[in-house]
Amino acid sequence: MSISDTPNQGWRAWLLTDTPSSRRHARLSALYRGWLSFSENPMTMIGLGILLVLIFVAALVPWLAPHDPFAQDLAARLQPPGSENYLLGSDGLGRDILSRLMYGSRITLYIVTLVTIIAPIAGLLVGTVAGYAGGWADVVLMRLTDIFLAFPRLVLALAFVAALGAGIENAVLAISLTAWPPYARIARAETLTIRNSDFIHAVRLQGAGPMRIIVKHIWPLCVSSLVVRVTLDMAGIILAAAGLGFLGLGAQPPSPEWGAMISEGRTYILDHWWVATMPGLAIFIVSLAFNLLGDGLRDVLDPKEGSN
Amino acid sequence: MSNLLDVENLRVKFPTRSGVFEAVRGISFSLNQERLGIVGESGSGKTLTGRAILRLIKRPGVVEADRIDLDGKDILRIPEEEMQAVRGKRISMIMQDPQYSLNPVMTVGSQIAEAYRVHSKASKPEARDRTLDMLETVRIREPEKVYHLYPHEVSGGMGQRIMIAMMLIPEPDLLIADEPTSALDVTVQLQVLALIDDMVRERGMGLILISHDLNLVASFCDRVLVMYGGRIMETLDAKDLHNAQHPYTRGLLDCLPRLDGSHGELQVLKRDPAWLEA
Amino acid sequence: MIRVENLNVTFGDGENSVQAVRNASFTVAEGESFGLVGESGSGKSTVLKAIAGLHSHWTGSIEVDGMALKQKRPRAFRKLLQMVFQDPFGSLHPRHTVDATLKEPLAIHRFDNPEQRILKALDDVGLGPEFRFRYPHQLSGGQRQRLAIARALILEPRVVLLDEPTSALDVSVQAEILNLLVRLRKEQGLTYVMVSHNLAVVAHLCERIAVMNRGVFIEEMTDEQLRSSTPSHGYTRQLLVASKGYDRKAIDRFVEFT
Repeated sequence: MSISDTPNQGWRAWLLTDTPSSRRHARLSALYRGWLSFSENPMTMIGLGILLVLIFVAALVPWLAPHDPFAQDLAARLQPPGSENYLLGSDGLGRDILSRLMYGSRITLYIVTLVTIIAPIAGLLVGTVAGYAGGWADVVLMRLTDIFLAFPRLVLALAFVAALGAGIENAVLAISLTAWPPYARIARAETLTIRNSDFIHAVRLQGAGPMRIIVKHIWPLCVSSLVVRVTLDMAGIILAAAGLGFLGLGAQPPSPEWGAMISEGRTYILDHWWVATMPGLAIFIVSLAFNLLGDGLRDVLDPKEGSN
Repeated sequence: MSNLLDVENLRVKFPTRSGVFEAVRGISFSLNQERLGIVGESGSGKTLTGRAILRLIKRPGVVEADRIDLDGKDILRIPEEEMQAVRGKRISMIMQDPQYSLNPVMTVGSQIAEAYRVHSKASKPEARDRTLDMLETVRIREPEKVYHLYPHEVSGGMGQRIMIAMMLIPEPDLLIADEPTSALDVTVQLQVLALIDDMVRERGMGLILISHDLNLVASFCDRVLVMYGGRIMETLDAKDLHNAQHPYTRGLLDCLPRLDGSHGELQVLKRDPAWLEA
Repeated sequence: MIRVENLNVTFGDGENSVQAVRNASFTVAEGESFGLVGESGSGKSTVLKAIAGLHSHWTGSIEVDGMALKQKRPRAFRKLLQMVFQDPFGSLHPRHTVDATLKEPLAIHRFDNPEQRILKALDDVGLGPEFRFRYPHQLSGGQRQRLAIARALILEPRVVLLDEPTSALDVSVQAEILNLLVRLRKEQGLTYVMVSHNLAVVAHLCERIAVMNRGVFIEEMTDEQLRSSTPSHGYTRQLLVASKGYDRKAIDRFVEFT
């Protein structure tokens, strides 16, 4: 083998070493190599950058926003973007759109986080148990998945609103309940493939029970495809939340949720395009960022990458 | 009279995170109408050599050589369109596992017929007839029936015969066989090799057989190249194998368990780093 | 040590069932090294998997160390019998380090001193401590197979089933692994049942050899008999001839055995 040069200085060498000295070292080394592959893709880094900005803004918005998002100034209503004081313009009630967008990023992140916690985890549980157990457990769980898959998202959201009242949490619940089935399918498909591998045979032969096999052997291998799928679905989830907000089923006024903002901007769209367009652009940019990130993650986490 | 194939100073390089990796490091050999075996372990560069000759190595891999000539004419630097006329028609390649090298959604017969029509102006019925002839030539009984089977419906040995039919139907001058029998049972392996032998002899073709099985190659081929670490360690006539000089070749021969040997400890190959510098 | 009688193994159900093994019977004494040879489809790996408990559709009787086995295996069985698989990459979990792979069986059976046992297991198979926290893709084929052997031996079994343990390895690495297997057997008094399609490897490692074809045991012989080319059955003789290399005249005489 002939390799021209290998890193031999400091922490980079420590991370790229071939002989890790502890479990933590091995993990960090694997993560670092993954990061190196990941960061080679410029589009992915752009996506990551946008999302970091989003998180940063959401975290520090009370100090960053130029105005109070709820402060109305009817004298300054419908100011175009670029006017003094209102960088992105003001809406029908004179509220600064930029500040509202920034506060709205918190809501967006809140929705994204909740759905990411609920849907893939529920899908992983159902899918791996169904795939590993087989038999009637598989049949029952998969039919359950089919039932939830059949529910149209908006209709379910309407039902929830009718039953429990409008609000972000109920919108999140409605989205999660319709988002988890595809993850269950992916997890089950992966489990079925993995189940016949020799390493599963080997650990069964050593006396491992089904719980240990599912948690320690199958889940780590399913996680990559789920992470990729979630990231790519993120755009759809944001749009779904915005759609619910647009219909008045999600966050309620005066909450600066981006979808609700678009809805409010409908009446002014012909003469004062910025009221609806600015939140629309925000949704577009964040969805695009998630898609770019998801593509990059898929290239790095692709299961075929198993060899060196 | 030029040689059928001349390869001079062939190098295959791949960029990696830690620098440029040279998988094949300056090998040279020539071939006429004979059977040449290239033997090596995994990582020796033998498969890449075969693919480099056919220019099947895609970017970011890089193939360099002083020359690769087919019948005295360059095939390394000619444009891709001209190379497509060479692949299949003048040089053909059989690979290891027919399950992976045959198109799973086309019938076996239609794949062979397609291979024929790509390199000749034959009509569909003509191609079909030629295909049936070819299937008979590779000793498949009931060619009519096999024509309509899909790759997953045929056994390993039959799949390889089909590959051979497909690759030899355009009547190439040189056949590169990359581990053609490694996935087969030992009796079937020998039967497939016998078939390749017959076809190569009948058509006056050259054959490069790439394998990890030194004994098999030595009993089948005329000449043997032994590769290690991207370099050729030794070139010998097959019949002189047991007088091999290079310590790597001797090491490979000595570490095999033998049917006429004992239960004693097998000799382990000691890798000398100097071999990589040679 | 092992007694198998009238073993029948089927795959699939009803119309699609295939009988992979038919009426197999054989015994293996304690400390013996028994080889099972055959081509693909002979059922040799299936016999091994049935003994290991990885395949449950079998009838007949299987006894290991006097214990008659049913479809489900008792816990104690795990410490009695272990297996090394053919594909060194496929038999290791890609996301578990060497250390995690070795720690797991110890945790399942609550062995004491896991740290010492892991270090000893690695030492026994010739892997230094610098390998301990690598992932399988950072190991070569031979190193992975050593790890698979270490994993099989860490529970201190008395019987080790070997399913083509060197078929996927380079010839030079194969020699090292075969030497390792011979040494370990001597040191630990193990009983081996090895499956292979390679006659030379089986003759080297095993004392008694059985030949299978299409699910049926054709004949049994000692390795001496195999080496001196005195098998009685035509199939075995043909296999022997084929193992010797390319001989055109011999090949033309090959027959199909059903």
